[in-house]
Amino acid sequence: MRRATAVAAMTWAALAGPGFAAGDGPFRDRVAPLLATRCGGCHGPATAEGGFRIDIRERAVAGGDSGAAGIVPGQPSASTLFARITTADREALMPAEGEPLSAEERTLVEDWIAAGAPWPDDLRTLPPALLPASGDDPRHKRARGHWAFQPVVRPAVPAGDGSPGNPIDSFVAARLAAAGLQPSPEADPRTLIRRVTFDLVGLPPSPEEIEAFESACRRDGGSASAYRALVDRLLASPRHGERWARHWLDVVRFAESNGFETNSARPNAWPYRDWVIAALNDDMPYDRFVRAQIAGDVWGADAATGFLVGGPWDQVKSPDPVLTATQRADELHDIVGTTASAFLGLTVGCARCHDHKFDPVSQVDYHRIKAVFAGVQHGERPLRDAAADAEREQRIAALELQVAAQAARLAEFRAAAAGALTAAGLRLPVGPQGNVDTFPAVVARWVRFTVRATTGNSEPCLDELEVFATDGTNVARAGRPTASSTLAGYDIHKLVHVNDGRYGNERSWISAEPGGGWVQIELAAPVPIERVVWSRDRSPQPRFSDRLAIRYEIAVSDDGATWRMVASDAGRMPHGPAADFAALAPEQRAEAEALAARHAATSTELEKLAAGPRGYVGTFVEPGPTHRLFRGDPMAPREEVPPGGLSQLGGSWELAGDAPEQARRQRLAEWIAASDNPLTARVIVNRLWHHHFGTGIVDTPSDLGVNGGVPSHPELLDWLAAELVSSGWRLKHVHRLIVTSRAYRQASDPRPDALAVDALDRLLWRHPPRRLEAEAIRDAILAVSGSLDTRMGGPGFDLFEPNGNYVKVYVTKEAFGADEFRRMVYQSKPRAELDAFFGAFDCPDASQVQPRRTASTTPLQALNMLNGAFLLDQAERFASRVEREVGVDPDRQVARAFLLALGRPPTPTEAGLATALVREHGLALVCRSLYNANEFITVR
Amino acid sequence: MRHHPLSAAGRHLLDRREFLQWGGTGLGGVALAALLGHDRLLTAAPPIRPVIDPAAPFAARPPHFPAKARNVLLVFCSGALSHVDTFDHKPELVRRHDTPLPIPDGGKLVTFQGEQGNLVKPLWEFRPRGESGTMTSDLLPCLGALADEMCFIHSMTARSNTHGPAENQMATGFTLDGFPSAGAWVSYALGSECSDLPAFVAIPDPRGGPQVGPRQWQSAFLPAVFQGTAFNADRPIANLARPAGISPTADRASREFIARLNDDELRRHPGDGDLAARIAAYELAARMQLAAPRIADLSGETVATLDSYGARDAANPLKARFARNCILARRLIEQGVRFVQLFNGAYAMGEGVGNWDGHKTLAKQYAVHGPILDQPLAGLLSDLKQRGLLAETLVVFVTEFGRMPTFQKGASGRDHNPAGFTVWLAGAGVRRAFHHGATDEFGYKAVTDVATIPDLHATILHLLGIDHTRLTFYHNGIERRLTDVHGHVIAPILA
Repeated sequence: MRRATAVAAMTWAALAGPGFAAGDGPFRDRVAPLLATRCGGCHGPATAEGGFRIDIRERAVAGGDSGAAGIVPGQPSASTLFARITTADREALMPAEGEPLSAEERTLVEDWIAAGAPWPDDLRTLPPALLPASGDDPRHKRARGHWAFQPVVRPAVPAGDGSPGNPIDSFVAARLAAAGLQPSPEADPRTLIRRVTFDLVGLPPSPEEIEAFESACRRDGGSASAYRALVDRLLASPRHGERWARHWLDVVRFAESNGFETNSARPNAWPYRDWVIAALNDDMPYDRFVRAQIAGDVWGADAATGFLVGGPWDQVKSPDPVLTATQRADELHDIVGTTASAFLGLTVGCARCHDHKFDPVSQVDYHRIKAVFAGVQHGERPLRDAAADAEREQRIAALELQVAAQAARLAEFRAAAAGALTAAGLRLPVGPQGNVDTFPAVVARWVRFTVRATTGNSEPCLDELEVFATDGTNVARAGRPTASSTLAGYDIHKLVHVNDGRYGNERSWISAEPGGGWVQIELAAPVPIERVVWSRDRSPQPRFSDRLAIRYEIAVSDDGATWRMVASDAGRMPHGPAADFAALAPEQRAEAEALAARHAATSTELEKLAAGPRGYVGTFVEPGPTHRLFRGDPMAPREEVPPGGLSQLGGSWELAGDAPEQARRQRLAEWIAASDNPLTARVIVNRLWHHHFGTGIVDTPSDLGVNGGVPSHPELLDWLAAELVSSGWRLKHVHRLIVTSRAYRQASDPRPDALAVDALDRLLWRHPPRRLEAEAIRDAILAVSGSLDTRMGGPGFDLFEPNGNYVKVYVTKEAFGADEFRRMVYQSKPRAELDAFFGAFDCPDASQVQPRRTASTTPLQALNMLNGAFLLDQAERFASRVEREVGVDPDRQVARAFLLALGRPPTPTEAGLATALVREHGLALVCRSLYNANEFITVR
Repeated sequence: MRHHPLSAAGRHLLDRREFLQWGGTGLGGVALAALLGHDRLLTAAPPIRPVIDPAAPFAARPPHFPAKARNVLLVFCSGALSHVDTFDHKPELVRRHDTPLPIPDGGKLVTFQGEQGNLVKPLWEFRPRGESGTMTSDLLPCLGALADEMCFIHSMTARSNTHGPAENQMATGFTLDGFPSAGAWVSYALGSECSDLPAFVAIPDPRGGPQVGPRQWQSAFLPAVFQGTAFNADRPIANLARPAGISPTADRASREFIARLNDDELRRHPGDGDLAARIAAYELAARMQLAAPRIADLSGETVATLDSYGARDAANPLKARFARNCILARRLIEQGVRFVQLFNGAYAMGEGVGNWDGHKTLAKQYAVHGPILDQPLAGLLSDLKQRGLLAETLVVFVTEFGRMPTFQKGASGRDHNPAGFTVWLAGAGVRRAFHHGATDEFGYKAVTDVATIPDLHATILHLLGIDHTRLTFYHNGIERRLTDVHGHVIAPILA
């Protein structure tokens, strides 16, 4: 050891050429830091990519797995190190991440190698401090001090000009005062009720609600108590959950189709949407809301895990292993990224390929979270729900009783029918589930079943042919079958199935002759026989009734040559629907048939109920080990990574690599929803603020990280976060605080003095006016026309024409019926497809999370609102409603229409113009115009 | 006033300078907010975000540096056009016909649909074309005749071997759904030279839409105003026409009333940028109602022009309809529409039936698709050149990926091949009769000057005078770019 070192030292000293010979200063000061920072991330002690280490002199000289020398002192061109930082092949160029080395840096390395690559002994192993070890990225060290990663400490409420009881205003007033600004006066009652109603329930207030609020304000000499009552009413409305669920569904990229190429529908994805709506209506504590979505299966909230699999899923599978691995990696990436962005306001997805460039999230941390979700698969799962299950069990028990009673009564009818048949010398018609032919005992060696006619002239199918000896034995079982023909190419339809003792279509024989063919059994020995039983589908749950032999003969033979017919369809009632009870008297028959229909319906319902409700809420399997993927490449797995949290953000917990699947998600859920997690509460109160004011205290609602926005009111954000937690995580408490604040209630008029200081209104010197979102516009159109259907929950309605193509083609519906008049949150929302009308209003397509919508203004919006079939139909309905409510007088019609659409009476000029329009072109034209007024889609 | 039913407000009430100073809460808000909060990226070249006037979102905006091209015509062949049967000449493939493709590890070659059979020579003969003697196949003879205009990239690669993700990548730079298309980025950056049509128009094939449908021209997280507006010679813009049930007089009266309501509101709320933008949008909608049908009305085209595109080919109605789309594309370019995306082939009809996805019976399928594409697109290229439009228009001819030089085992067609394929450019700013990069001797994998889709996007933006690393939009924690963190301008192809 000692000797080797001595030799090495000598070699280095000897080779040290001019320029660098003057000392090892240049290496120490420039080359070593460069190599350590730019190469050490991947070629350091933690991860020796390609077997290459830059931090150990001998290893750097020796090179990596390729076998080529890393450094050949004196010969840059022969040194792989130099070749790889200068190559023109971009795939091979190092560093693999970040910018290539600058010309100066390359020259530095070149000169250093040319000078013999002097590398002093005391740096034989570069000090770890130089290396950007994973998780100890110097950027990360700084980033850990970022405000959002510090514990939430409830700040003191600033003293002074706050409205009594609402600390929000103290914080806002303090910032305004510091900027020399005054808040605006309170908005007038009409503006206020329209604003808060759209905000909290997403619908316009009715004229009656407006009037009641106005008169309450007048009566009280101010809005305070009337407004408080209004807010309470709106927060208690079931419409509230529908409104705010839409906001949340944006954040979690929820849609009801797979996305990607086929974009097939997910007909059972809606239970998650209903769960969100119910949770918000019930004011479920937010920590529970979070936990349920990550691991609801632990806490009896199965539908909630629809969150995990709410994203896109590529169903186009291929034998190509690279594609398959990439697809799986993308699925998990979606879950990891959405979880971090929705709950933690972090862009963890960046760390899929490399350590996060801004936030303290290492690539290993990313894969720790990925390991948490490694067992989550897209797909449907039964939804268990203790309360609903108990109810369901009761219902099942009741139905079972009902079915049994029906069956017993039907049996009586059948017996009576059979009796009537016998009396009339007739037999039952043939049926798929079994037919008995009895004949006087005869000794025979062969029995042949010949088909003369079938339903639909199809090739006949028999799942079993049984021949009973007088001692009751089915002697066909030991016999040998032959047939005139057998339909080729189906493993489930083979001759040997005809006497294999097994029932059902999967073990049946089909002849190759339409409407004909025969099958015969050669018995093991001649025996006396007296009965043949045959069937089409005698499985416990028969599904097939086609290919039924309706005319047939049964013959026996001693020698296989001469045949004697012993039975046939002669004497059977003709085959046909509901022929079971044909022999009964008309009244009895009607009763029996009605009962049979009820029995069938009840049985189906029972079957469905017994199968239980299902939802597209993911399935869980025990996963194998998770590996870090070099540069995110699924074909480049590196070291195994156990499930764990974000280690530099208070989530240093870690489970065993083989920890049970559910325990992983449970642990993550508990960490995220812990009251001391610095991000969770801040993120959600900021989201609430964002939707109430159009901009969050942090204007990047899903990124509170280093690269996110700077909070406009940091103390207020922390105060709200602390308030949320101490209220028991009640969101409605925070909603109430915000919308009753003076900041929220102030007028929205612009003021030049304030605009000059704070044009974006980040300090809230006025309430910012906003355009309604696509969903609120549609809901408002329906509400105003009186068409809105407020039925809640269940499968959604479709805005696209039905289409069963492999690759679903989405064609926007042009004609709408009442089914489509529910709130838009109940639209069965396809991914990556926007309907032609509302898509133009910046409706997100759920391909990506959308924590903040744009609100653009386009000519297509104008064309849709002017000429779209939906709008014109609604304008007609709006007109009919007005006429229904106030009659045919144009003045009254116009007044009513304005109140309904804009929440205010027309000005005299407007009234004059509008009544003239009504007289000349009809009321519907005025309604169309009101829908197109900017005021209709704007909240001030 | 009657002639300008919607023009009452913006003009006299809105002072642009005042408006910009006042900001707004919609588009203006987005742009301004972006200017304030997020400039803390430690890059040498900070993002350049276009400043967008909400009242005129399509107004022309300056490029980052002088542009070579004013407009882009992007031609997309849906289904993955086989490069080995069209533009990538591989003599070795002919020589080694019906022998196995050598695989380095001796393993079995498994691609998208499964195992591969032997190498199969091009199903159409290659011949030298033009003065340059560029070798192209007999499948597309009219386009071949224009080979001197073309600048080929033979070493293109895609990141996915599945149509949907690969279409996404060609359109948006990302294989995943949910990213803005190149046309949306360009409209966002540059606006348009045309005041009565959208900046970005997508022209779907007469047979239907591409596989990923409107995702090809979506704006995703960019403001919706920058999405492509889809229409073709057969199918006008949705809801463009005045409804049948409303008379012209009634329609005009209704619009005047709307304008009056909006005017009054603007008086009550002076300086409301969103409202001004809405008024402007209604004005543009009205202009579009006049301009779009005029643009799509080809009755003024001469018979000679129609015939040069094959637009009167009664024997091949699909070709004639595609030809009419090609003429429409020229008319849009003429009007200064910034970005026109022309689609050839549609997915609605299934694999290979209406598009270039020739897995099973490629010869039969391409014999149908070739003539539909060939003369009309060649006619368009020639027409652009003849009218001097090619000097300022960049034509880009792409598909989602290439096809294998082998036939699929047990079939007479070629499987997907993202490892190497050909795209070509023509017109403003690119070299003529030029070949960049190459696949291996069989046309299987790109081996020389390997190019990526982000490289292509970077090059398109470069020709438009845009630095692809600096054109950004902040979304969900990231300064997004068309080229993500990739892309290098393909310098050798620049004229």
